[in-house]
Amino acid sequence: MPFIHVEKLNKTFTVLEKRKKGSLFREKKTIEALRDLSFDIERGELVGYIGPNGAGKSTTVKILSGIMTPESGEVTVGGRIPWADRREHVRRIGVVFGQRMQLWWDVPILDSFLLLKDIYRISDEDYRTRLVELTEALQLEELLRTPLRLLSLGQRMRAELCGSLLHRPELLFLDEPTIGLDAVSKLSLREFLKWENEKYGTTILLTTHDMEDIAALCSRVMVLGHGRKLFDGNLETLLERYDTVRTVKACYADPAVMPVLPASVSASREGEGILFSYSPGETPTAEVLRLLQDAGDLRELTIEPQNIDHLIAAMYREMDL
Amino acid sequence: MDTAKLYLHSMGMLIKSQLQYPVSFFLQTLAQLVMEGGEMMALILVIDRFDRLGQWEAGNLFFFFGMMAVTFYLTECFGRGITGNFPYLVRSGGLDTILVRPRGVLTQVLCSAVDPRRITCIAVGVTALFIGCRLSVIRWTFLKGLVLAEGILCGCVLILGLFMIEAILCIHSVKSVEFVNALTYGGRSACQYPMDIYPRPLRILFTVIAPFALTLHLPASYILDKPLYGWPAWAAFAAPLSGPVVFLIIYACFRKAMRFYRSTGS
Amino acid sequence: MKAYLSVFHIRRKMELQYRGAMLGGILCQMFFGLILISLYRALYASKPQELPITHVVSYVWLQQAFFRMLLASDPDLGDKIRTGSISYDLCRPLDLYGFYYVRIMAQKLTGSLMRGIPMLLFALLLPEGWGLSLPSSVPGLVISLLALFLGLLCVCALENITMAFTMRTLDAKGVQAMLNLLMLILAGNILPLTLFPDSWQQVITLLPYAQLLDAPIRFYTGEYGTDSVLRVLPVQIVWTVLLTLLGRFLWSRNQKRLILQGG
Repeated sequence: MPFIHVEKLNKTFTVLEKRKKGSLFREKKTIEALRDLSFDIERGELVGYIGPNGAGKSTTVKILSGIMTPESGEVTVGGRIPWADRREHVRRIGVVFGQRMQLWWDVPILDSFLLLKDIYRISDEDYRTRLVELTEALQLEELLRTPLRLLSLGQRMRAELCGSLLHRPELLFLDEPTIGLDAVSKLSLREFLKWENEKYGTTILLTTHDMEDIAALCSRVMVLGHGRKLFDGNLETLLERYDTVRTVKACYADPAVMPVLPASVSASREGEGILFSYSPGETPTAEVLRLLQDAGDLRELTIEPQNIDHLIAAMYREMDL
Repeated sequence: MDTAKLYLHSMGMLIKSQLQYPVSFFLQTLAQLVMEGGEMMALILVIDRFDRLGQWEAGNLFFFFGMMAVTFYLTECFGRGITGNFPYLVRSGGLDTILVRPRGVLTQVLCSAVDPRRITCIAVGVTALFIGCRLSVIRWTFLKGLVLAEGILCGCVLILGLFMIEAILCIHSVKSVEFVNALTYGGRSACQYPMDIYPRPLRILFTVIAPFALTLHLPASYILDKPLYGWPAWAAFAAPLSGPVVFLIIYACFRKAMRFYRSTGS
Repeated sequence: MKAYLSVFHIRRKMELQYRGAMLGGILCQMFFGLILISLYRALYASKPQELPITHVVSYVWLQQAFFRMLLASDPDLGDKIRTGSISYDLCRPLDLYGFYYVRIMAQKLTGSLMRGIPMLLFALLLPEGWGLSLPSSVPGLVISLLALFLGLLCVCALENITMAFTMRTLDAKGVQAMLNLLMLILAGNILPLTLFPDSWQQVITLLPYAQLLDAPIRFYTGEYGTDSVLRVLPVQIVWTVLLTLLGRFLWSRNQKRLILQGG
C-alpha cells in the first residue's frame, strides 16, 4: 500500500455567474475541478506538482489535507481517509501556504511556536529537541525574539516552515514556498527542504510555478491541467518530450551576411547577431551548424541557455491549457 | 482542561501583542469608555426628563442597563474571536489555516482574538449595576446573587451564538449580512430597557428568537422583586438556560455549515 | 472644476456598487428606529412632554435615514494614510483639500440618499405616532432642505479635519472613534437633542454638530418656525466657513510636512 493513494478522484464546484442584464437570478455554472485523478506517492518522495492557475492543484492539496471532501474517489494517506477524521489526520501533516501566514503577526516567533506546541500537544522534550534542530537548520536562532512583522520575506518563510514542522509531520504540503524570495533565500530554502526530506524521510508535495524549484528538488513531477493529470514522471522525461526547440546565436564578421536555412528554422536579428530557432528532430543540429559555417566568416556561436519557464509555457500551449 | 489551557495561552499572547502599541491601545480603551459613557449619559438624560418608564423606576433602569452592558462587553472582550473576526475569517480563507490544525474549529476561532479594550465598557456596566442596586434598594439573598451570575453567563453564551449567525451566512456566501446586527447590536440596544415597553412583535423576537428577555429581564426583575409578566419565581432560574439552548441550535447549524464549507471550499 | 466633478462621479459610482450591503443596512437602521420609537412612546406614556411625540418620532426617522451622512466611512482613505500611499495623491495636479472634500461629499450624499429615501418612504407609510409625519409646512420643507445642504457641507469639512488629524497621529483609530462618538451624541443620533435638558440645548444647538442634522430636522418638524431662518442659517454658514478654513490650514501644514519628510 503506497503512502498516498488517490484513485478516480472527482470534484466539481458550482459557481454563480455574474448576473446577466435582464435576468433576475444569477445562473449557476458547474466547474469540474478534478476529473478522475489517480496517483500514488511513496513515503519519502519529493514530488513537484505543477499546472496553470485553476488547474486543480490547490483543490488536490485541500482534499489531501482533509480540509475538503471530494464528490467521489478514494484517497488514503498513511492508511487513513483524510476528511473522515480531520483532527487525527492533520496531526500528521504540515501545510505551508505561500501567501498566507499562519504565525501570529505581532508577537516574537518563539511565542508563536510555543502556542503551536500547545495546539499540537507536543511534549516538552520533543519540542525542545525539534526546535533546536530546526532553528539551527533554518538559521533562525537569532530571530526567535523578533516579532514576525519585522522579519524579511525570506526570514518569514523560514519561520513558517519551522512552525509547520515542529510536530514532525510525515507529510508536508508546500504551496509556492519560494514566491517573492530573493535568490539567496530560495537557495537556502531548497537546501533545507532537501535536508528535511533526507533526514526524516518526510514526504513533500510541492506546488509551484518556479521551475527552478522543481529542477533542484523534485525527482518526480506531476502536471495537472483542467483537473486531469497530464504527465507523471521525472523531470528529464518531461523535458525530452517537450523541449523541442533549440536556439543558437551566430555573429558574422560582415553583419550583412544572412545564411540560407531550411524553412523549418526561424531566424531573427538580435543586436550584432542572428538568432536561429530549430527543432533537432526536423533539422539535425549538425546540418544547422554546417549551413551556418558555410554562410560566411563566423565570429561567434553561442547556444542560448534553456529557459525552463518558456518550455513549460510551450507545454501548456501544446496541451491546450 | 487542555482546551482551557490553550485558550489562556492564546489570550496571554494576544494581549501581549496588543500592548506592543501602547499609545494606540490606551487611546482605544479610552474611546471605549467615552462610547459606553455616552450611552449611559443618554440614559441619565432620559431619566432626568421622564423620571420613570412604566412600572420601572430610575434605579431599575440603571440595573437593566448595567446588566446588559456587563453581559455584552464581557462577551465582546473574551469572545472577540467569534464576535469580531469570524465573518472576516471565513471570507479571507483563514478558516483553511484553522482546519489544518488538530483542534476544534470553534475553539481555534475563540482563541484567535481578545479585546481587552472593552474593560472600560465593563467598568461602566458595573458602575451602572451598582447605582441600580443602590437606588432600587435590593434585599440581596444568596439566590438573587446566583440568578444574577446565571443570567450574565447565559446571556454571554446567547450573544456568542447570535454572532455566529453572521459567520454561518458568510459560509453560505450570503452577501449582505448586516441585518444580523439587528439581533446582536440591536438586541443590546433594545434589551438594555425592560422588555414590557415594546410592542408584541419585538417582544416575541426577543423572547423566542434572541431570548434576551429570558436570560436578562426575567432574572433582573426577580432580583428587583417586580416579576416580569407575573411569571413565578422559579421561571427566573429556568429561563436563562434558553441562552445555551439557542447557542446549541446555532452551533448545530454551524456544524452543518462547516460540512457545506468542506464540500464546496471557499 | 471638471476634475472635481469627475472625482465626485467616480466616488458616487463606487458607493452605488454596494447595493447588496445597502439592503441589509436599511433593514438594520429601520429596526433601530423602531426600537427607539417604542422606547420614546413608552416614556411618553409614563410622563407626557410639551414636545409632541410625533416630533420625536419624525426626529428619530430622519436621524436614522441620514445616519450614513454622519459617520466617517471611507476605510480606503484611512488605509491610504496609514500606508503612506497618500503621498501619491500629492503628485496630482489638484488641490488636495478640495479633492478629498469632493470625495467625501460624493460618498456621503450617495450613501445617505440611497439609504434614506427608501427608509423615509417606508416611514411615511407607518401609522400615526409610529411613522414620519409630513413636514410642518412647504416653506419649512424648503428651508430644511437648504439647511440639510449646509449641514452636508459642514460635515464634510468636519471629516476633513478628522482626516488631517489622522495624518498627524499615525495611529488614529482611537482618536477617530472618539470624534465619531462625539458626533453621534452631539448630533442627536443617540438621543434626540430635543430631549436634552432645555438649558443644555441652548448651548448644544450652537455647536457645529447640531448643524448637521438637528437644525434641518427641526425646520422639518416645525420646531424652528420660518422666522428662525435668520437665526439658524447664519450659524450654519459661519461654522461651515470656519471649519473649511481650519481644515484647509491643517491640510496645507500636513502637506508641507509630508513633502519635507518625503512621505
